Amino acid sequence: MKAIIELSDREITLERNAFLKVKGSIDTNLYFIESGSLRIFVLDDYEEQTIRFGYKENLIVSLDSFLTGKPSDLFIQAIKKTVLKVITKQQVHRFLEEESNRVLWTKLLENLVLQQMEREVDILTNSPKERYERVLKRSPQLFQEIPSRHIANYLRMSPETLSRLKKS
Amino acid sequence: MQSETLIQSLLEQTRQIINQAEKLKSYDLTVLTWKENEFSWSMLECLEHLNLYGNFYLPQMENRINNSTAKSDLEFKPGMLGNYFAKSMLPKDKLNKMKTFKDKNPLNANLPKTVIDAFIDQQIKLLELLNQSRNVSLNKVKIPTSISRLIQLKLGDTFRFIINHNIRHLKQIERIEQAMKNA
Repeated sequence: MKAIIELSDREITLERNAFLKVKGSIDTNLYFIESGSLRIFVLDDYEEQTIRFGYKENLIVSLDSFLTGKPSDLFIQAIKKTVLKVITKQQVHRFLEEESNRVLWTKLLENLVLQQMEREVDILTNSPKERYERVLKRSPQLFQEIPSRHIANYLRMSPETLSRLKKS
Repeated sequence: MQSETLIQSLLEQTRQIINQAEKLKSYDLTVLTWKENEFSWSMLECLEHLNLYGNFYLPQMENRINNSTAKSDLEFKPGMLGNYFAKSMLPKDKLNKMKTFKDKNPLNANLPKTVIDAFIDQQIKLLELLNQSRNVSLNKVKIPTSISRLIQLKLGDTFRFIINHNIRHLKQIERIEQAMKNA
């Protein structure tokens, strides 16, 4: 991971609530979060649906755009003031010219596939309580880093339900 | 210019406009309604002025985009008038004052902070329309202007006009902020 972060030669700062990416734009960068937190969401009939979070020392990316170079529907918004290191797709490509780096990169992508599968099961889990427990077990730190209302949206439940589950 | 290149640059400009408006949300109402003199606009009045334009144009654009059968084209060619309108909106280094149509002048209206939310909602709507516009012709779809229904601009020029107009008044908001610091 460190080797990938070191590829970056540019840093950006986002104020609270500022958008890194909006629907329809092409963003082929990979971002390492130095500090702060962000959320990825889509608008479904003007209803925001959070699909992923990133907080300090995570990578965040509009993966569809990164892979295809095409416009993506995702919004990426800073939850609080956030500092990011920008890694361009070109920098990643140059990095991957080295055999040993490709092993590292594959590991990273494999990890991501596993995370996506966990998330798929989350979404298909009927019981709100079970959805909450799965995520709590997997990422306890999430509950330290991200405001409850965003986590409730991610878990597809009302903030009240989440608050009740947290107490029980 | 290529249609997709234009759409990408308009999306990026709109992203920056939203971020600037988000920042204003943290300001006190006394700051947002401060004005240099009784004839000048406050920050909220600038946004309300943009909202009045949005209220007029966004529904028209949505309607024309949804009812269009003109397929998208690779190239967008600005119209003579449309290009002139769009470019004239951009702020210059030296202030180029413009006349405001009476019905778009929010001067001294008692405005609440929710004007900012309404403005941001309009920008999200604008993003949606920019996305939808990929399926239609930026050249052949025409939008009537607020000046006269008989004067129509190409969809592509209408986007440029609206977004440049937004940029113009957000620049004005920056100037108000500066004037307030010096006052």
